[in-house]
Amino acid sequence: MSALTVDELTVRFAGVTALDGVSFTVRAGDIHAIIGPNGAGKSTLFNVISGAYRPAAGSVTVHGVRLTGRAPHRIARLGVARTFQNIALLPGETVEENLLLGRHRLIRWWRPESGRHRDRVREIAAFVGLARHLDTPAGILSYGDQKRVELGRALCGEPDLLLLDEPAAGMNANETAAAAGLIRAIRDSLGIAILLVEHDMGLVMGIADRITALDFGVLIADGTPDEVRANHAVQTAYLGLEPSC
Amino acid sequence: MLIQLSLGGLSLGAVYALLALGFVVVFRSSGVVNFAHPALLMIGAYVIARVSTGAGRPFALAVLAGVLAATAVALVVQRFLVRPMAGRSLIAISIMTLGVDTIGQTEIIRRIGVDGYLPIADPWGDRVFRAGDLVFPQSRLAALGAAALVIAAFLLWLRYSSWGVAMRAVADDPQTAALMGIRRTTVTALAWILAGMLAAVAGLFLITFPSPGLQPVSAAAALRAFPAAIIGGLDSIGGAIVGGLIVGIAESVAQGYAEDLAFLGHGFHSVIPYLVMLAVLLVRPAGLFGTKELHRV
Amino acid sequence: MSRRRLVLAAAALVVAAAPFLIDSFWLQQGLFAMAAAVGALGLTLLLGQAGQLSLGHSFFLAIGAYGYTFLAADAGPRAGGLALPPFLAALLAVLLAGLAGLVFSPIAARLRGIYLGIATLGLVFLGQHILANAPRLTGGDNGRSVPPLPGFGADAGSTQYLLNVEWGREQKLWYPLLAGTVLAYLIFRAITRSHLGRALRAVRDRELMAGIVGVPVTRFKAYAFLISSMYAGLGGVLLALVFRRVVPETFGIALSIEYLAMVVIGGLGIAGGAIAGAAFVACLPPVLERYSGLLPGLAAGPGDAGISAPVAGKFIYGAAVIAVLLLEPAGLAGLARRRPRRNAPSATEPIPTGTRK
Repeated sequence: MSALTVDELTVRFAGVTALDGVSFTVRAGDIHAIIGPNGAGKSTLFNVISGAYRPAAGSVTVHGVRLTGRAPHRIARLGVARTFQNIALLPGETVEENLLLGRHRLIRWWRPESGRHRDRVREIAAFVGLARHLDTPAGILSYGDQKRVELGRALCGEPDLLLLDEPAAGMNANETAAAAGLIRAIRDSLGIAILLVEHDMGLVMGIADRITALDFGVLIADGTPDEVRANHAVQTAYLGLEPSC
Repeated sequence: MLIQLSLGGLSLGAVYALLALGFVVVFRSSGVVNFAHPALLMIGAYVIARVSTGAGRPFALAVLAGVLAATAVALVVQRFLVRPMAGRSLIAISIMTLGVDTIGQTEIIRRIGVDGYLPIADPWGDRVFRAGDLVFPQSRLAALGAAALVIAAFLLWLRYSSWGVAMRAVADDPQTAALMGIRRTTVTALAWILAGMLAAVAGLFLITFPSPGLQPVSAAAALRAFPAAIIGGLDSIGGAIVGGLIVGIAESVAQGYAEDLAFLGHGFHSVIPYLVMLAVLLVRPAGLFGTKELHRV
Repeated sequence: MSRRRLVLAAAALVVAAAPFLIDSFWLQQGLFAMAAAVGALGLTLLLGQAGQLSLGHSFFLAIGAYGYTFLAADAGPRAGGLALPPFLAALLAVLLAGLAGLVFSPIAARLRGIYLGIATLGLVFLGQHILANAPRLTGGDNGRSVPPLPGFGADAGSTQYLLNVEWGREQKLWYPLLAGTVLAYLIFRAITRSHLGRALRAVRDRELMAGIVGVPVTRFKAYAFLISSMYAGLGGVLLALVFRRVVPETFGIALSIEYLAMVVIGGLGIAGGAIAGAAFVACLPPVLERYSGLLPGLAAGPGDAGISAPVAGKFIYGAAVIAVLLLEPAGLAGLARRRPRRNAPSATEPIPTGTRK
């Protein structure tokens, strides 16, 4: 069964059609990237999947369950987690507290807190490389570490589908390579499907199993990295080549 | 009876519209809810009342003095208290204005005495205007006329003058406005000046009828700016006018039919603005014409 | 033991033994402070932890105060009562305030930030209207007396003594109020340290992200409102017990603003802040009045030249609110704190970051 199916998704804001009849499928266990120039509709797509926007038409389903039209917290309950491009951490709280927040859908908050949640959070923190910083207020960490907290928080919800919003934004080559490794490790050891929006072509081509390309809200290519790289419409959109007949 | 009530309601509504406008103008330009607005009204009204009862002073001078006083206080608050808090959360700034309101109202009430009453020598007094069977107090007609004039002037200014356009620009799209060279702080200061002016004029009319004079309970009338502004939508100029009219008419009608409505309790006309506000919020959480927030991540 | 711990332990001892150590005037100030602190804890939870501004606190305080008074009093010629056992009446009054909070909470949860603040203003006026039109409940504008707790205030004919200390009204009320305050504090601490607290702070600071990790934002805002209204209910009961008389005029918008001042001055979201702020605002007028001879400009009583103590109090706490927000947003708690405590509620920008226009 596919992890995520987007079917004829159309989103409109105040006269602008941000997404127009977009359809694609994310397969379970895949790392699936969405690429496209600025304004192509990538963030809009993510926001629809997170429940922040309602589509004008079309739908998104997760493991066969319809996701569009649900409130964000109900989407989280379906096992979808996301990171934010502009980091959405609580800067005054420690890393551990931020991570525990991500575990909300699993915590029975009306009961006294059981230690196993903190244990699991520690495991995940170690996995993303934050073991030393558990008690540090998240706001004073470096940008790269804050991005790890973002990621860790998403993982703490034990999701089946992970949405990564520009995971390599603002990173240099080394950091990007580390991020790529971490993303691959997540897929390999946790087996979850990962959908990411990314501008860094090196990262995308390096780790994606499948790529969907958007331009002006329309899907222009969908397939393996090689297929997409060779796709003429993609080349035109990115490099401004004259479309040949 | 109904015509009389409607006119009274319109008159009161126009005054509330003035009040709500001053409040909304500040909110639109800076996002701050100015809880000190009632204090501005009280300060303006106090100065007008005081100056007007001095010997040999033309009423127009008293009004001018009141407007200047309220405007000066508004400007001082904006410059020295609000501006240093730029970048802070809007609720924080709004609570700060609550502190200002506490001080301002306490001082004015202290001056007029807790059970006190400060007379005002307005030119309309008890005089009435008769049209057939109908009797209209002149002060009410003056209020309606003046308020309508001020509102019209304000709307024209907002639409056509360069500062008015600048103000609308900042309210609608602060970033682009900044890029076009409009200084947000100047526009904000302007908004507060307007708030002071509008509060003072509204204050003048709130203390000329139903009973002339400034009393501690006038402050309660000043608070009706809030439901008026909320009903219309905090960020809507048109909404402020509509909200003010709704509150004024509702209050007048409730007061006029007080006997029939006695089962709802004595003094129902004072609480009806808030009930209308709660009812509107149930259906439209952002007020009738307010913008619902769009979530962008 | 660290110095901080020693100071706190000493303070706890003084508080526990206060009726034997302190004179009646200061005991009374302590009672005022405790009664106010309970209400303030609720408001600081709502505003400081959950980020919801409410000006309606006095409405729920009124429900607590009048609920207790009516339920516990005997029916009389001027005012009615159900003559229930006072402790039961107190519990029911708190539940009644909670019920009112529950009824209003769905509306509250749907309103964004500042709209909620102004909508709750409506509650206060509604409450005032009801009180003005229910003389059987309120005993009229001059108010009615509050039934005391049995054993803790009922005046026996003769003066009682405990350990050589005259056991008067203030002494009798001390331990019940202390118990109520400690309970309120412990519950507050439990909430803020729990996952509920964590989720509320997320709703306050990053509402969108909170929803996305699975927090049902509207429902949690409603919970915060409900809890805070119950705190106000208990606070109202305690106010009634301490003042021994309830008057409708008390529960107007000015009282809501006072509580807001308490939590802002004390430091939002922090229990110690709520208590310190409550003590500051509640005890200011009586203390000023007592020392009015020493302070220039203060009137010693009505008819005297100078500013009366209640008025001076308002000037001071109004100015304090402004000063705190301009200079030390974390309030008294911020001044007192020296290093960040683990698990302490977040206080970097204690008032919600909210959305800018």
